[in-house]
Amino acid sequence: MSTEVKEVSPVVAQPHVLAVAQSRSIRIRINGLWRSFALGDDLPASATLAHLLRERLGFTGLKVSCDEGACGACSVIKDGKAVLSCMVLAVEADGHDILTIEGLAPDDPVVEAFAEQSEPGYGTALQCGYCTPGFVMTARALLNENPTPTLDEVKDALSGNICRCGCYAGIAQAVLRASAKIVARRSEV
Amino acid sequence: MNERFTQRVPRKFVGGYRPKIDGAEKASGRARYADDLTIMQSFPNLLYAKVMHSPYPHARIKGFDSTKAEALPGVVGIITYKDPEVASLKLTNAGWTDAVDTVPWDRMMFQFRDRRVLGEYASWVGDDVGFVVAAESEEIADEALRLIDVDWEVLPFVLDPIEAMKADAPLVHQDLLTTNVMAPDPTGGDDVFVVKGDVEADLARAEVVVEGRSVHHNATQGSMDNWCCLVEWKSDQVTVWSNSYAADQLRMHISQMLDLPLHRVRAIASYVGGQFGRCDTGDQPFFLFTALLSKKTGRPVKFRHSRRESFHDSRQPAIYTCKLGAKKDGTITSMSFNSIGNAGAYADHTMFALKYVPKELTEMVLAHIPNLRMEAYGVYTNGLPGCMMRGVGNSQFNLIFGHVIDLLAEKLDMDPIDLCVKNFAHEWESLPSASLDAVLREGARRIGWKEKRHLPGKGRAYDTVKRRGVGFSFHPAWHAEWQEKRRGQVQVSITLNPDCTVLLKAATIEIGGGSNTCNVLGCAEALGFLGIGTEDIHWSSIVDTNDGLKDCVQTDSAVSFLQSEVMMYSARELKERLREIAARELKLRPEEIDFAEGRIVAPALPALDMTVKQLLHKGDMAPITVAMSRAPNEKQTGVPFFANFAEVEVDTSTGKVAVLKLVVVNDCGTVMYASGAEAQQIGGQCQGMGEALTEEIIYDKATGVPLNFNWIDYTIPTMADMPDIDPVLLEVWKGGGEYGACGIGEGTLTCTPRAILNAIYNAIGVRINDIPVKPEKILKALGKD
Repeated sequence: MSTEVKEVSPVVAQPHVLAVAQSRSIRIRINGLWRSFALGDDLPASATLAHLLRERLGFTGLKVSCDEGACGACSVIKDGKAVLSCMVLAVEADGHDILTIEGLAPDDPVVEAFAEQSEPGYGTALQCGYCTPGFVMTARALLNENPTPTLDEVKDALSGNICRCGCYAGIAQAVLRASAKIVARRSEV
Repeated sequence: MNERFTQRVPRKFVGGYRPKIDGAEKASGRARYADDLTIMQSFPNLLYAKVMHSPYPHARIKGFDSTKAEALPGVVGIITYKDPEVASLKLTNAGWTDAVDTVPWDRMMFQFRDRRVLGEYASWVGDDVGFVVAAESEEIADEALRLIDVDWEVLPFVLDPIEAMKADAPLVHQDLLTTNVMAPDPTGGDDVFVVKGDVEADLARAEVVVEGRSVHHNATQGSMDNWCCLVEWKSDQVTVWSNSYAADQLRMHISQMLDLPLHRVRAIASYVGGQFGRCDTGDQPFFLFTALLSKKTGRPVKFRHSRRESFHDSRQPAIYTCKLGAKKDGTITSMSFNSIGNAGAYADHTMFALKYVPKELTEMVLAHIPNLRMEAYGVYTNGLPGCMMRGVGNSQFNLIFGHVIDLLAEKLDMDPIDLCVKNFAHEWESLPSASLDAVLREGARRIGWKEKRHLPGKGRAYDTVKRRGVGFSFHPAWHAEWQEKRRGQVQVSITLNPDCTVLLKAATIEIGGGSNTCNVLGCAEALGFLGIGTEDIHWSSIVDTNDGLKDCVQTDSAVSFLQSEVMMYSARELKERLREIAARELKLRPEEIDFAEGRIVAPALPALDMTVKQLLHKGDMAPITVAMSRAPNEKQTGVPFFANFAEVEVDTSTGKVAVLKLVVVNDCGTVMYASGAEAQQIGGQCQGMGEALTEEIIYDKATGVPLNFNWIDYTIPTMADMPDIDPVLLEVWKGGGEYGACGIGEGTLTCTPRAILNAIYNAIGVRINDIPVKPEKILKALGKD
């Protein structure tokens, strides 16, 4: 079943040199681990990164909701930036670093802040939870770049993600709280 | 900083501000939904199903050739409308239930049987018709459908309900019916379905008469978690994993339609990524054809909607007119409502929205108006079927209701808040309603009603071209406990382990409304005498019909209290059982024993120092299970009210409406979980604002093809669009039972569109009554188009 040909221990990232069409295999560093995949019937060149991650590897945290780049539910982090994995072909991730929500630390401040959000006046940061991993990863990428965003910067960064339950007020608060957690943890070190 | 809600009765668990019980699981991506439970990795042998969608708004399949599709590598099974297992299926409809009850086919709530499962007729662009394919991948299944050569007989179509009512209009169901206007049905009643007093005579003599019209379009639910199911038909056992939010009814649906005994059908569900009224039994033929494909191929088959396919039902669009008569002092003496509902291709819940709900409203809010008349017509057209969406029928009604109130108040030069309090209350209370008075006064205070309201269009200008205004609308709630009797027995099982931890089985499929959190809080509250916390209670997101409990379907957050009310009885029973155990151990009579905070209290043994845990440790270590079934408390307590207030800024040069602030006030009876309730209130504004301003299904009128079945062109508000929202929870009214709570989830958005529309009028002095209010409508109304 698996299209995976081998697993390699985390090593220094090697620049990808061979054209995919020639090698018929791709290598992606997923959550810190380099993994190789053969292209073929099980993994056509048209497969999206979302498909590879979810269906082949079982990283079901990301969701495919619109499958056309309109909702952000499939967001993962590619080389430090949030990307829509439904709009990235698996072959485009060849040689790149991909972080899914499963790759975050168990005490990740963004995950904690989303889970805990319950402050009066703002509701929770999630209801059905389907969009949540996408919001978490988009917020994570924002905070990596800008650990202390303003509310307007949060809104700007997260306005590509849809939460149909409409928990935007709680989500914005959670991101600000995650920011405070990051700052606090840094000062502890 | 918004003001914090305070409880009428302080409680340890129920009603507090705290994280969701599933917050950590969802925030970390560990929560698994139907699509996650059925990935290839878990079912290596699975096949994917795809169904043909009609390219025409109205057509019939005359014939076909599937040779090329059958020959395509990777295609494993094809079923067509000619195959006996499909051709023999009963006609169905999405009006089986009001979403909470379990009913068989012959007892469906709305008896319109107009849906064929994989039929030869197509009644709208996108209709599931004729052919379904199981293949090794979704792409192959799609390709196979393209290779089926269909000979279509393209038929004339109609999209506009007024056109569809004309005698020479194309018939939407020419093989079943002779008119597009639906015949009266037993549940909805006659065309004129409410007559009280004499409206015509009263209108003729009334001191003031106003008349209004409103048009509600078909917004769609937009659940992020597209429909998904995996069916495995092995031997004579059918197992279904899905994101249906009604497991027991799904089992009944499959059993009834495929003629299987109930014990041969097993429905399993976990978290659902948003519901919002999406669908009801009968508009889900995919459960049936996916099952038949699994039977045919002998392999598990998965079917899921794409985003485009998920546009498969909508809020029931309705055109309302209302004539209202009143005295000069503001006493309303008559109201006459007429409505035309655009059913789309299938009847589904049309009469729920057009008749059933408005009829309920005569008791819930119009009870003190002496003369009432209501008349409604449901009309078939060749468009997207209208069905349920968060607050079936109420949103459409509120759009006209809040309009005529505003019209009358203006004509009488009266504050509309005073006008509402003077006239409206439910059947079992006298005027004024304490609940209505409270929600309106509190909403007015929070929005700054007195300071911000001005004569229509007469406020000051901002940036030369912008005008601001405020508006509100109110509505009665409709999920008090006595209104939930259609559910039948509500079932809960509580097991106390010998270490004083608890296994809670309160089956309900969690769609986001937070009923699982409410249930755990309710359980901890009820078992307060054990001194346990929420961390001592195990609950599961998995609902499985083989557990033998009917799941309590989450509509309008009513499950937030229904199962907790049952738990109060379970707790009493459990306490009795513990008393008997303690009595045997302590050699006392059971009535001499009580429990407090996990300790045994026996006045006869003042020196006793024993916890419940220690007591259980001495026994046989067998868990104690109390399974309880109770019908909802039918005490007729009326309903509470809710209201929405809006402040808008209209740019008169571009027509763009910016909502500056929304206040949402819900009288809850008892708040079961404050953070969750506020999340519902805030979230509801997002959908309500979308319906009011941006969300709309657009058709190419020449071809009948919907143009925006995607989330780029069907514009759902994002974080950048939403204004400051003030959620206000009140406990004024109280229902029956321990908590006397009421569902609020649907109600949070029912009045949002009308509140925004009235605020737009206050801002610019011109009324727009068809939603969504896009900039071109504003410009047209201002004579600038």
